[in-house]
Amino acid sequence: MKRLPPISGEWIDRHQPVSFTFEGETIPGYQGDTVSSALWAAGRRVLGRSFKYHRPRGILSLANHDVNTLMQDGPKLNLRADVVPVEPGMDLMAIHTFGGVQGDRATVLDRLSRFLPVGFYYKAFLGKNQFPFWERVIRSITGLGAVDTTTPRLRTPKRYDFCDVLVIGSGVSGLTAAIAAAEAGADVVVVDENARAGGSGHYQRGDDGERSRQTAALVAQVQQHPRIRLYTDTTAAGYYADHWVPLVHRDYIAKMRARAVIVAAGAYEQPAVFRNNDLPGVMLASAAQRLIYRYAVQPMERAVVLTANSDGYRAALDLAAQGVTVVAVVEMRSQPVVTDPVRAVRDRGIQILSQSCLYEARPNPGGDGVASVVVCPLDADDQPQTGFTQTLACDGVVMSVGWAPTANLLYQAGVTMRFDETVQQFVPDRLPAGILACGRVNGVYDWEEKQRDGQRAGLAAAHRLGLVDTAPSLERAIAPECPSHPYPMMAHPKGKNFVDFDEDLHYEDFIHAVQEGFDNIELLKRYTTVGMGPSQGKHSNMNALRILAHLRQLPPDAIGTTTARPMFHPVPMAHLAGRGFMPERRSPLHNRHAQQGAVWMPAGQWQRPAYYHQPGLTRQACIQQEVMAVRTRVGLIDVGTLGKLELRGPDAMAFLERIYTGKFSKMKVGSSRYALMVDESGVVIDDGVVARLAADHVYFTTTTSGSARIYRELSRLITMWQMDCGIVNLTGARAAVNLAGPRSLSLLQPLTNVDLSPEAFPYLAVRQGAIAGIPALLMRVGFVGEWGYELHVPADQGQALWDALITAGKHLGIRPFGVEAQRLLRLEKGHVIVGQDTDGLTTPYDANLGWAVKMDKPFFVGQRSLQILKQRSPKQLLAGFTLPERFQGNPPQECHLVIHKGDIAGRVTSIGYSSSLKRYVGLAYLQPELTAIGTEITIRLTDGSMVTATVAPTPFYDPDNHRQATVSREEAFV
Amino acid sequence: MMRASPVQDCLSSSATRRDINGMSTVWSTPEDLQGDTLGLCDRSCLTRWGVKGAGAAAWLTALGLPVPQHPNQWCALPEDGLIARLGTTEFLIEDGWEGAIAPQLAQQMANLPSKVYPVLRQDLAIALTGCAVPDLLRQTCSVNFQALDLTEQPVILTSMIGVSVVVIPGDRAGRPFYRIWCDGTFGVYLWQTLVTIAQDLGGGPIGAAYLYDLELGR
Amino acid sequence: MKLMTCPINGQRPISEFFYGGELRPMPDPATADDATWADYIFNQNNVPGLKQEWWCHTPSNTWFIAERHTLTDEIQRTYLYGSQVLEEVSP
Repeated sequence: MKRLPPISGEWIDRHQPVSFTFEGETIPGYQGDTVSSALWAAGRRVLGRSFKYHRPRGILSLANHDVNTLMQDGPKLNLRADVVPVEPGMDLMAIHTFGGVQGDRATVLDRLSRFLPVGFYYKAFLGKNQFPFWERVIRSITGLGAVDTTTPRLRTPKRYDFCDVLVIGSGVSGLTAAIAAAEAGADVVVVDENARAGGSGHYQRGDDGERSRQTAALVAQVQQHPRIRLYTDTTAAGYYADHWVPLVHRDYIAKMRARAVIVAAGAYEQPAVFRNNDLPGVMLASAAQRLIYRYAVQPMERAVVLTANSDGYRAALDLAAQGVTVVAVVEMRSQPVVTDPVRAVRDRGIQILSQSCLYEARPNPGGDGVASVVVCPLDADDQPQTGFTQTLACDGVVMSVGWAPTANLLYQAGVTMRFDETVQQFVPDRLPAGILACGRVNGVYDWEEKQRDGQRAGLAAAHRLGLVDTAPSLERAIAPECPSHPYPMMAHPKGKNFVDFDEDLHYEDFIHAVQEGFDNIELLKRYTTVGMGPSQGKHSNMNALRILAHLRQLPPDAIGTTTARPMFHPVPMAHLAGRGFMPERRSPLHNRHAQQGAVWMPAGQWQRPAYYHQPGLTRQACIQQEVMAVRTRVGLIDVGTLGKLELRGPDAMAFLERIYTGKFSKMKVGSSRYALMVDESGVVIDDGVVARLAADHVYFTTTTSGSARIYRELSRLITMWQMDCGIVNLTGARAAVNLAGPRSLSLLQPLTNVDLSPEAFPYLAVRQGAIAGIPALLMRVGFVGEWGYELHVPADQGQALWDALITAGKHLGIRPFGVEAQRLLRLEKGHVIVGQDTDGLTTPYDANLGWAVKMDKPFFVGQRSLQILKQRSPKQLLAGFTLPERFQGNPPQECHLVIHKGDIAGRVTSIGYSSSLKRYVGLAYLQPELTAIGTEITIRLTDGSMVTATVAPTPFYDPDNHRQATVSREEAFV
Repeated sequence: MMRASPVQDCLSSSATRRDINGMSTVWSTPEDLQGDTLGLCDRSCLTRWGVKGAGAAAWLTALGLPVPQHPNQWCALPEDGLIARLGTTEFLIEDGWEGAIAPQLAQQMANLPSKVYPVLRQDLAIALTGCAVPDLLRQTCSVNFQALDLTEQPVILTSMIGVSVVVIPGDRAGRPFYRIWCDGTFGVYLWQTLVTIAQDLGGGPIGAAYLYDLELGR
Repeated sequence: MKLMTCPINGQRPISEFFYGGELRPMPDPATADDATWADYIFNQNNVPGLKQEWWCHTPSNTWFIAERHTLTDEIQRTYLYGSQVLEEVSP
């Protein structure tokens, strides 16, 4: 473990030293190092502790295919030291140790492992009481990192990106694919999760610079090509419909839309399974080669190479060239193909032990490194002959026994894979249009063949885009050598031969799982948790599949794979949140409300004033004052959030009669009428007011929450019924206010040219004119039960209208009032609010709105259903109730239940305190037999106590509705 | 001045204002030069009007106005105005700084023939200027504007940060020049969100004078 | 995310669209008996296959029909409803 002299193509910059601390100790490194490479160069071997047994761990893959080396840097959690670049000032700790990596006290669990087999928690905590205690213990022993809840939110904006061909992976097959597609005219993006492009060609050298030179030339060609963009340090995190791929960079996510995707993502190197294969110093061959050629770090001093392919021989040559004593190459195959690297190893005089395996690695006295390995010959059945072992002293083991394709995104794209015996891996079988694969993920390992495979994929993508006429054949050439051993697993009576390093699963865990009956790949996964750790099976799923196939005597194809889901590597929540766009709508009068001390409440996407705060008064007091202002003087409320729709054309009235339950054709021009809307099943969905402005011109309102939905649906119905009318959505184009109270007439008359006298402008009439010079629609409405006008003006003149009314009303005691006051006012009149006093099943008959339903029309939405419902007796009816005048204590709230004879007999939908009547009034659904006026009902509060109420007629206030329709001369002309 | 822009209260108090068509409009700010990088300008003051229906195209043609031949296309009106065909049968007519076609059309409201329906327009209308406009659009809108052929004068109806918008892409003085309209009640949200992003990219709100010079080619 | 092609506005992400239910013929309310009517209201055909569906491009309020295979989620074609095509496209 030391820093080597400069290596051609190394990634570190020796002119820029960077130092950091790890568990309190200062570690020297260079710009371009990762945390693990700097630690390894500094001689540190134990970089982390395992999840369950807290065993010492070092480098395994150095490729983010395992999490042996998870660390925390202040608020930054779960850093993967193998791939995180060093930065000055880093202060790192390994996660979840008790006393640091060296002296982790929890290592006692390793000795207790007999009592902690796979799935032990399903059997250990049989009493309900035990688990809460043990859960806390287990969480603290196995928790991954500690969250600092004061961490400030960093916004990492998302962005969109576009290309013709997206190439995932910049190894030689990806690079050649990109060049082929770009040369054909495509706009290409190449992404690679590594800091630099080039892939394995850069480091699987076999002490021969030829491949790395070719790789570098291809990278340069890609960097200089005008139609290729190269994004490094960027992970393609998943595949979503229609070639939508999130590209995850440290600082942002880009949402890439491609027209074709080429997956050249390579393969994961797989570990061999033998006792103590997790000791620091035992690593994958590609990890050792990356240490050498990227970071100029000597991986070990005395190495044993375990291999089943030519890659292992290349690794042996690379180690020997850097001064490592290669004690032996342990060759698992009985008849290895003799390739150039094999010959070169022989020529160097390195011992090759044929048809042999590593049976176990033996730890040093400290238990934190390798001291020797035990080698066994394999018999004809590939079983270790444990009677003929030899022990080799070494401080490191390099494993090169096979690969599994990085096919995650192919699976997500709907590619079906089949197991190819010649390369002992799954390869793509059927690919959907626009998805291509090349290189190792496609089962192609030969150096020249990978490049041809890339060219084929690039041209196929170009053909798909119509840029070239003929599609190339995508036949794979026969592989000269099988890159993967079919079963690199050695059982051992003492176990600790790890299959999944994240989850601390060893070989016998799988045998136990199958013994217990979890012998299907999905059940095996969930029972053992293989592949469920942070690296999500990258180094473990293939071996688990092989073990299951072996135990069940089935081919791998019959076992199948579990589902690979995005994200490929963990993505910070901040990236997914981006800027957090939350659309908000504001009435044109918003600022006036703010100036008046509005206390806001959300109403869908809108903000509305709940009430206006007065200094020194409670919320309830403010609301009651607003109510009294409306009842005795004049109030002003912004109703601009209401949906406002306009219908014109010969079929306008006919259309209206088809969508609402009422009749409108005979309405006088200049009048308005309440309108009720039900859906096809007869359930109340909306209500509003229809104003007839001309023979074939109506203007009507909807509830705030219904406006967009109703406009959209009515547009569909006009299309479907082919009616001769046009609908316009004016919800955002008009400001609207209700001026309500006995003094509203005298306030408004001086401002308008419209004759407001009761004879000229009766209740429910509609007029158009000007108010303070602003073109306006005026309607007399009755929602709050006082004389009042609803005024609609263009939105950009809303503030001017408001100002004029407030100014004119000052001497009349005008008061703005908010939603809470309005709800109380309408409740005193017994008016229903759709969505509050109705729910998803309420019919007009339940809600006492049967009067608004006119069955004698040819057709309206819901008519046929209402015919059926009308025949039935309703199960509930909406009724008014009051509490006694001197009621003390907590009043019921909305949704509290009415209880009768021990059973639910109804529920409260609205309730409020009426200062005019000096008692609580409310609406509730009740069983029909309880709705007789004067009936006493009991309402149950949350704490179980009961309140008695009395059924009362509505309206509670001004039962004859005089005040909205008539007004005394004194009040009108103050 | 009786008309108020939807973003009236978002705009800086250190700006110089003018009354344009009855609306108080930010005319110039100390930071107007940032319009070369990324400027947002409120042009809601311009007069505009809408009309829709199967008879709308014929009616506009009969009045002597140039009508875009294809859906989602725009063409210029005299005095720097524009007429945009939104989809197949809806039109947005907007005057430039000196025009007055829209108010004249609005006065026809009572005399429209069959299948011609007036649309009251109370949009937030803004312009985005400057070389960083594509960066802002890439953070806020999924349409690939770079792939459009501007010579076809396209109109894009899409969604931006959750709000339905009409976008007319273009360029002036060699830099992107985009006009965007949305429902005025979403105006404050759209404006404030885009300003925050623009400021991250080195830009911000600018006055209408910048636009006036740009559009009149000065 | 998935793409949908609006007949008027072209290809857009599915987030710009609203699904309006399957295009189903309504039984004649004047002649249908109560059981037939209730079946139309409350029961829907969930058998996977090619369905005609109402979809709306919300930024432009364009309603159209999409033919979508509900097993593969493949959208085979989209078009405007009925004679609307003939009347409106000609200027």
